[in-house]
Amino acid sequence: MKKLSPIAYVPRRGTVQTASLGPVPLYLGAYLLACFLSSDPLVLIAATVGASLAGYGCGAARAVNFSLKLGAFLALTMIVVNALVTSRGATVLARLGDWPILGRVDVTAEAIAAGGVIGLRALGTMVVIGVWSACVDPDRILKAVHGVARRSALTATLISRLVPLAATDYARLGEAATLRGPGANPVGRGAMAHRLLAGSLDRAVDVAATLELRGYGMGGGSARFKPEPSRFDRRFWAAGIALMAVALSELVLGAGRFDTYPELQYSFGPDAVIASVAFVAGGFVTWRRGR
Amino acid sequence: MSSLLGSRTGHPALEIEGLGYRYAGADRPSLTDVSLRIEPGEFIVLAGGSGSGKTSLLRAACGLIPHFHGGELAGRAVVAGRDVRESGPGELADVVGYVAQDPETQIVSTTVAAELDLPLRFRGDHPAARARAVEEVALALNIPHLLPRTVTTLSGGELQRVALAVALVTRPPLILLDEPTSQLDPVSGDELIWLLRRLNEEWGVAVVLAEHRLERCLAAADRVIAMDGGRIGFDGPPAGFLEYAISTQPELATPSALMFAGAGLSPLPTGVRDARRILRAQGLEPDSEIVVGDTLAGAPGDAVALEAKRLWVELDPGEGPVDVLRGIDLLVRTGEKVALMGRNGAGKSTLMRAAAGLVELEVGKIEAPGGIALLTQNPGDFLVRERIGDELSGPSGEAALRAVDLDLPADRDPRDLSGGERQRLALAIALAGRIEGDALPGLVCLDEPTRGMDRGLKDHLTELADSLADQGAAVLISTHDVEFAVSFADRVILLGDGEVVADAPMPTVLSGGWYFASEVARVLDVPELVSVAQGIEWLEYVRSGGEPS
Repeated sequence: MKKLSPIAYVPRRGTVQTASLGPVPLYLGAYLLACFLSSDPLVLIAATVGASLAGYGCGAARAVNFSLKLGAFLALTMIVVNALVTSRGATVLARLGDWPILGRVDVTAEAIAAGGVIGLRALGTMVVIGVWSACVDPDRILKAVHGVARRSALTATLISRLVPLAATDYARLGEAATLRGPGANPVGRGAMAHRLLAGSLDRAVDVAATLELRGYGMGGGSARFKPEPSRFDRRFWAAGIALMAVALSELVLGAGRFDTYPELQYSFGPDAVIASVAFVAGGFVTWRRGR
Repeated sequence: MSSLLGSRTGHPALEIEGLGYRYAGADRPSLTDVSLRIEPGEFIVLAGGSGSGKTSLLRAACGLIPHFHGGELAGRAVVAGRDVRESGPGELADVVGYVAQDPETQIVSTTVAAELDLPLRFRGDHPAARARAVEEVALALNIPHLLPRTVTTLSGGELQRVALAVALVTRPPLILLDEPTSQLDPVSGDELIWLLRRLNEEWGVAVVLAEHRLERCLAAADRVIAMDGGRIGFDGPPAGFLEYAISTQPELATPSALMFAGAGLSPLPTGVRDARRILRAQGLEPDSEIVVGDTLAGAPGDAVALEAKRLWVELDPGEGPVDVLRGIDLLVRTGEKVALMGRNGAGKSTLMRAAAGLVELEVGKIEAPGGIALLTQNPGDFLVRERIGDELSGPSGEAALRAVDLDLPADRDPRDLSGGERQRLALAIALAGRIEGDALPGLVCLDEPTRGMDRGLKDHLTELADSLADQGAAVLISTHDVEFAVSFADRVILLGDGEVVADAPMPTVLSGGWYFASEVARVLDVPELVSVAQGIEWLEYVRSGGEPS
């Protein structure tokens, strides 16, 4: 029995799933942009909450929960790593002495905070990617791209199909490695990677042959993609433009609001509150009345 | 529109003249001087052993050879009036459909509806025409409920049906299928064959079906083409093919034909209905009241090889947890040869994986006290290095190779081995270090080892199972191939929806049914009579006026 990836696309009649390809990237892109551009923890948390609400609203709870778990793990890792490798910052919390490779390790509150900001960025980014992956049909993207960039579309098609196949192959090879008798020579990572790569190339050839057989190389129909309008488009356009403006304003207004080095400085202002409220409220755009 | 182009324009569906082909870098040609003509609306079975040239012929007929695989091509192949040298697979897509053996690599979209729409979109059809074509082909193949599903959630049988629908959605006059039933259970396999026959009769599509399990499809065929070493060995009606097979390539003959030939009956039957008609005409009508005794071979040992008690396993394929095994109770003793059968998704692989400790149990327990070696569905997964000596070395490696009766130089590349040798090597890798003295692990499991195998390779596998059981191991093989189960097993466990629905001696389970019954059993319908040898003996007794033993 095959197991479906938590962030795999599942067709549903949700708002994001049925909206056109134009406004949805704008809407989710605004959250992504906020995660990249802002360094304000409040805004980053709000963007993550908003993206999560957007995912819950369109039935992608499993993808959101998975992304939150994975993102939280990444965030914690980044906090720990940054605390260990960065000795900058005035507020020393612990002196851990000399470590191999790292040298002298002083854990500072500033390094932890800086790691936390990077971690929050990663967390928000993971959630947005999870919602996108679970709600936006890759076939529609490929059809849209096929008309304007056929080679790119072919590459994207191969990748989108080969990733799950490679994941299946990897699981199978791992299982076979477990089942080897104790007297057989162990499977090294190099041999395993080599085998997986060789298998993936075989798979790629098969998938490419299938595309050929479907008529991929033919000229007909390459420029005939027409976006299908949805009744949810207007709200995503409006929310997308508004949130994009907020995200871009963060670039200007948010600069210097939260500084980590040499010591922590946070100038809390109404602009951060407005941006945060906007991102959280924007998450409800995907919700439908009565649900 | 180009639908049914071949029949409308008066061209043959496929015409091949003096075709020869050698893959790039190959020592010998895969096809030599092949000439044939297939008319619109014919249903053709393409027979032949592994490596006889069936797949190459199909690839040449859809343009993958030479456009995709390269190599050297001689002669000409023309599909519905289009020469494959001048038209590539994409250009031929609306006159020929191709369904390969592995359905997983034939699906490139996310949902079934998008997959069916793809070739029409590439062809530039109008959206309304596309929507109608998708709806029609889904209805014809009885898969409208699958249209919104994501392809990753489909079973093997569903995937194969979708692949067939994609090949048909452009309404080509010719469809080529390369062993489409190899991964299907007997029920799904039979359904697919008769679906093809129905489409052939109702839509007039010419069908070329490459198959190893000929007893499944011969009755549906108008004509059989048998490949032998890259050449056409036979081209004619099914009855004539059986005469050819018995005299020239007995491994291609169906069980009922072998039984008739062995008993000196003629003509040879092309299927169960034909065999019963011939027997009735000769006054040898089967009598289900007769009971055949003493058919069980071999006695199990005393030691327990596998014991499961109230075994429940739950898996989550992504759409919520499902009970895959539901309260299984099972006891297998050393020396037993057991066939594990059941529909796709019945829980066969999960049971073996549970025995090997690869899945978590919800309730109950499963134990293999004498140890277990499990060979999964793809033996190639065990072969990760480029020398046999790098896979297995030392005394434990030598003992494992001895156990599977494999004597090969250490510097041979596993990829250069034949399919049967690769399977034995993979099994040796699973056994290595689990052999104490000459004693094998208590249980040796093989999961679907006969996929894509011809009769010769299956016979070798039967010998291997016998050898392993003689060495004291219990051999548990999951299989969809009823004829293979008849050849090796002395007990059959039939799973249905995660439960044991039958567990009895092989002749008891594999006689008296329709799907999980051998062809001989379906012809004679005598309890416990399942094998060709039994059938011959029974027919000789009946013809001589004696009583069957």
